[in-house]
Amino acid sequence: MMDGIFLGISTALTSYNIMMVVIGCFAGTFIGMLPGLGPISAIALMIPITYGMEPSSGLILIAGVYYGAIFGGSTSSILINAPGVAGTVASSFDGYPMAKNGQAGKALAIAAYSSFSGGTIAAIFLLFAAPALAKVSLSFQSSDYFALMVLGLTAVAAFAGKGKFLKAAVMTVFGLMLATVGTDSDSGIARFTFGRLDLIDGISFLLLAMAAFALSEAMMNILENKEQTQKEKDDLNESIGSLKITREEVMEMAPTVGRSSVLGFFVGVLPGAGATIASFLAYGMERSFASTKEKLKFGKGSLKGLAAPESANNAACSGSFVPLLTLGIPGSGTTAIILGALISYGIQPGPTMYVDNPALFWSVIVSMYIGNVVLLILNLPLIPYIAKLLTLPKQLLLPLIIFFSLIGVYLVTFNTFDIYMMTMFAVVAIFIRIIDYPMAPMILGFILGGMMEDNLRRALTISDGSLAFLWERPITFTILIITVVLLLMPMIGELRSKMKKSKES
Amino acid sequence: MAKNTIGSLFFLAFSIFYFINVFSIKKMPGGHFEVMTASTFPYYIGLGGIIISTMILIFSFIEKDEEILSLSYLKTLDFKTTIYFVGAMMFYGFTIRSLGFIIATIIFLLIGFVLLKERNIKRILLISVGVSVGFYLILNNVLGVYIEPGMIADYFVGDES
Repeated sequence: MMDGIFLGISTALTSYNIMMVVIGCFAGTFIGMLPGLGPISAIALMIPITYGMEPSSGLILIAGVYYGAIFGGSTSSILINAPGVAGTVASSFDGYPMAKNGQAGKALAIAAYSSFSGGTIAAIFLLFAAPALAKVSLSFQSSDYFALMVLGLTAVAAFAGKGKFLKAAVMTVFGLMLATVGTDSDSGIARFTFGRLDLIDGISFLLLAMAAFALSEAMMNILENKEQTQKEKDDLNESIGSLKITREEVMEMAPTVGRSSVLGFFVGVLPGAGATIASFLAYGMERSFASTKEKLKFGKGSLKGLAAPESANNAACSGSFVPLLTLGIPGSGTTAIILGALISYGIQPGPTMYVDNPALFWSVIVSMYIGNVVLLILNLPLIPYIAKLLTLPKQLLLPLIIFFSLIGVYLVTFNTFDIYMMTMFAVVAIFIRIIDYPMAPMILGFILGGMMEDNLRRALTISDGSLAFLWERPITFTILIITVVLLLMPMIGELRSKMKKSKES
Repeated sequence: MAKNTIGSLFFLAFSIFYFINVFSIKKMPGGHFEVMTASTFPYYIGLGGIIISTMILIFSFIEKDEEILSLSYLKTLDFKTTIYFVGAMMFYGFTIRSLGFIIATIIFLLIGFVLLKERNIKRILLISVGVSVGFYLILNNVLGVYIEPGMIADYFVGDES
């Protein structure tokens, strides 16, 4: 393991890769700061640039963008109460009131230090958890992988939120359907191509990700025609104040940061959970731990109320890399996009990546930590200036985002059909957003669709067409049992709440 | 109408269309001996799509507190500009080859800025020309990606091919 870590450090610490982390963190911070554009859009926009790079440099850039986007989301949450990312919504509960009290600088500093601490604790956990899980998963067979993918997709739907289970499930199936377009990898038979040669290779993941996130988010901004309010403009023009935090405040927040980081990491590891759930859980946990007097401060500028979600969301980001790097199974929309990028580089993440590509495996883990350091020492002092970018008029920003989305996809294939298809998908994505269906399960279903089919085929071939593989192997069976429990959980929850409602009425 | 009803109808229609098309996937000779053919997986997910969207549809009729897609919300949306933008994106796809990258991008950005009511002509021209030419130079000289500049650029620089 130590050899791997040193190899990772030597790869991550080359001047080129450090430059990539820095660029990634800055680009991510800027994009994440723009309300509506989250880490998925930020990563999707960056992927075409990484195609010409070494896989390790590309992935390092992407990891930097991921962290930067989360940090950028916190900045807009705190300064103008407009979270750029769902994972930073909880940060606005106490961050924005602090900013309103003239403590914007302190709030930003707390966000940065908490994120850094969360990232550090999670990186240590990742350092041990990832290789351990990778070793265990070396014994996994195709039936186990198939079951894991079913679990991942079910978990995404199960954690989608109250009343959203079926919506997330149908979006997952929609993604699976789109994944079947193109040539069948086993028989070479064309499926759902309708005689078009452009569809023979299937739908590009980058095209779908870009259309469903970056492009449709920019188009939604145009459709909803949301102008920056005068209040938001005033908030941005106010001085952010001092960035200093006192020793007493650090001591007050330290246990919160520790607890929330551990919680965030484990929530991040769970497929389907991620930064949003982690931040809300951490906020809730801290509120319940707080004394009655402290409880009153929550929502009005509590330091703990800001530190908890910030540590948790950053730790969850690191945690979400565990299933991705060790099992090759993404647990969230963001890691699904990263998986797509890895596959485009010709790398299949999973237990063999740990053995075959140790430099890449460890350099990603090390660069995540470097990303945290970069965010702390470079982004934090520059935040007052970066935040001014938020004042850029939308009428200039949106056409540019749309242009970069279109050209990013076009440059991969040089096929104009991709631009038409992307436009069409963006229109469908806008409709889906209007009717309020979640988009992340679709991209997860799309990315996992091909792998799921391949593993199912292999498992069926090994078991001679019998479905007995589902219960014959203990690992497969256990994973499927967990899947069933996850499947039943939201249903039971909804039933209970309905019964409670009917009792009350 | 409830958002869930609209969504479920859309996904039901799509799933039915997908499911019907599963039957037009060609079979390999001797495919019936295979444990899994090219249409097996699509068959089950198509079926899954129909079942789930039907469930959402049924629940959307049963549930009373469903979120409605209100006319007042729809009235606030700027469909006109969005449709023009969709048209501009299609136009960009249509012209990027014929006019070349630089000209097509300048036109697309100009249209975009004007559609979003940017009135500062100097700024519009500066950004659209600057981004197109700058991005072209970065692609060609830094990232090593060759992209056709187009006929106007050819006219000034000369066709190198």
